[in-house]
Amino acid sequence: MAGYDQGEYFCEMFGRNGLSHTRKIREQLANMDSATLRRRSKDAERELFNLGITFTVYTDRDAIDRILPFDVIPRVLSSKDWEQINSGIQQRVAALNLFLKDVYNDGKVFRDGIIPEELVKDNKHYRPEMEGFVPPKGTYVHICGTDLVRDEKGKLLVLEDNARIPSGVSYVIENRHLMMRAFPDLAEGISLAEVDDYGRQLMKALTAVAPQGVSNPNVAILSPGVYNSAYFEHVFLAREMGGPLVEGRDLVVEKDRVFMRTTRGLEEVHVIYRRVDDEFLDPKVFLPTSMLGVPGLFEAYRKGNVTLANAVGTGVADDKAVYAYLPRIIKYFLDEDPIIENVPTNICREPDGLAKTLDNLDKLVTKPVGESGGVGVVVGPRASKRELADLRAKLKANPDNFISQPMVNLSVSPTLIGGKVEPRHVDLRPFALTGTSTWVLPGGLSRVAMKRGSLIVNSSQGGGSKDTWVVG
Amino acid sequence: MASLIARFGWNIFWLGRYLERAEALARILDINETYAREKSEGPDWARVLELYSDEDRFKKSHGKADAASVVNFYILDRSNPSSIAYAVAEARQNARSVRHLISTEMWTHLNMFHNSLSQLTQRDLRLNNLSRVCTQIKQDCQTFEGIAEGTFFRGEAWCFYQLGKYLERADQTTRLLDMGYDRITDSDAEGRDSIHWSVLLRSVAGYHAFRSLYPVGSKPADIASFLMYDREFPRAVALCVERVTDSLNELESRHGHTRSKSVEDARRGLAFTLETGLGQRVTARRLHKFIDDLQVSLGDVSNEIGKAYLTKI
Repeated sequence: MAGYDQGEYFCEMFGRNGLSHTRKIREQLANMDSATLRRRSKDAERELFNLGITFTVYTDRDAIDRILPFDVIPRVLSSKDWEQINSGIQQRVAALNLFLKDVYNDGKVFRDGIIPEELVKDNKHYRPEMEGFVPPKGTYVHICGTDLVRDEKGKLLVLEDNARIPSGVSYVIENRHLMMRAFPDLAEGISLAEVDDYGRQLMKALTAVAPQGVSNPNVAILSPGVYNSAYFEHVFLAREMGGPLVEGRDLVVEKDRVFMRTTRGLEEVHVIYRRVDDEFLDPKVFLPTSMLGVPGLFEAYRKGNVTLANAVGTGVADDKAVYAYLPRIIKYFLDEDPIIENVPTNICREPDGLAKTLDNLDKLVTKPVGESGGVGVVVGPRASKRELADLRAKLKANPDNFISQPMVNLSVSPTLIGGKVEPRHVDLRPFALTGTSTWVLPGGLSRVAMKRGSLIVNSSQGGGSKDTWVVG
Repeated sequence: MASLIARFGWNIFWLGRYLERAEALARILDINETYAREKSEGPDWARVLELYSDEDRFKKSHGKADAASVVNFYILDRSNPSSIAYAVAEARQNARSVRHLISTEMWTHLNMFHNSLSQLTQRDLRLNNLSRVCTQIKQDCQTFEGIAEGTFFRGEAWCFYQLGKYLERADQTTRLLDMGYDRITDSDAEGRDSIHWSVLLRSVAGYHAFRSLYPVGSKPADIASFLMYDREFPRAVALCVERVTDSLNELESRHGHTRSKSVEDARRGLAFTLETGLGQRVTARRLHKFIDDLQVSLGDVSNEIGKAYLTKI
């Protein structure tokens, strides 16, 4: 750790000037020389490759299995951090579920002027097919991944919600196993929250939302197949849950009931944890060309013979535009203030938000709402005059399409880079499971931007991951 | 516990088949090279092509059948469906589909095996190195088999794995025997080509067992009968067929499957071919015909198993 310089950022290991809950880990890390760290890190990467814990990158010629770079220095959260995250996520998931139920049924949230109706209903993820239908227990978002960041003062903020098919949980658990094998000594004398319970909790949540009258449901995982980049995770989930892993072609719907084709013939399925997007689920209702889905699945779902997790149409809840309204949605449905705040967001469809955005264009990050994956995002401080002028024109022409936020200086975490420990930016994605109540896996996925100064933690862009420790 | 998804049964069946096939290929390439070293005229690589009926396909892509090109064709060439690289890649792809049904140790080993194989280059296959490469491949297959034996859950999936493995093994033994059939001139005579027969026996780890049964001589008829019928010998066709029968019975007795008539018919057909086929006097023509019949019967059983249990789509 000698020579480590966190710069002007909040550090997950040192805070601003030393964090008490990381003292023991810091001491133990200090006892390891850099050669040891490097060697063990190499061992860990080799093991990942041998285990085939990979995601697949497709080029013109080959499918290449790559490992997600794994950094051996854990990201550590205090029990106080965790209390806030745990209750904050539970609150958020509760609000999302109530919001979705209202949006597809009563629409009170529109009538009471909390959020403009067209903002939700014109969204490409809105599914009119879901209107007038409430899934078992009113749970829409059974599996939720919420992306959190910490600003330069160390304050936790929600960056976005992933209420459709959040992925990455397999890394949380595999990273822990890897860490315990590569660095059994690092956790010595530290009380560490376990992550092994995820499969059981997932099964419990999905069993709780089985169709009425089914006490011992068949729970299956629906995967797009071996060529999906997250296939490793689908396999992982099937193993952890002990349920069958199926593809669309393994399922068939007869008389509005769903069956899987087994060596003994057809066997009924009651709950499907689907890792297939809404559009591909049922060619009779959504994309007619989809080969990944099951004809008739949606009707079986609406009849209540099978439960889908997550529900169809949850994409309206994790949209960027809706995100901006989440603090108001939480207040409206739960009469509580958000336990974890949003990144302050200007909603450009509101005159006040538009004015603030236009006045500070060079200081703010401006995002189009309908896009994902960073498309069309303008980072004010790094944009040219011309880009800013372009943006100004677009904003004035169509303010509804934009939100803006201040730059967040993401916290850093000590990371092993070429044998040296350097600060790298991190985020955190905790995973929440909801059947009748919500359980949050302690910790979550810490993604780390491996390039110096980069704020992009996505695995597709060279991001890596760390084990996340919640210490008592 | 829910039943096995039919498609996964198919994957497991082929996982067993492909690994058995990779092992057999490594054995055959190894024996061909070793055999060549003991003779003056050099190795006959065209013979291997003949064994797998690959002459035409090979000619199209490679031309002349010299050592380097044939070895490359059978070890590294991923586009050749009868190569080791292809078999192991397919085994891995099948394993990937059923990754949740096999043990982590099976998967990890296969994954490492596959990775090490894909790092091989033509340089590694020079003749003086070939035996070492083949031995390594053989050992990787055997290690996998051992891991499977020790860790693979004995559910339905295990039965399909066994079925794939033993059907392939039986098929490979018949092919190996076919490699020598035209050397038979007179069944009562000593093998005209005794080196050939002893190398062949060694390639299936059968030399010592054969010797203990037949202390002197290497009559082709005895060797053929040993490889076909000796129920003590792990690669004998009869023993493989017995194991296939066991696994089919187990599907019924332990996993509640109803017996499929078409599978049963095919299995009886196979047993009948095996029992009646070789006859008293072994001639080259007769042996070759017998092997052909056996291969067809083995194929029938495999197809019927697929239809009855594994392709409910």
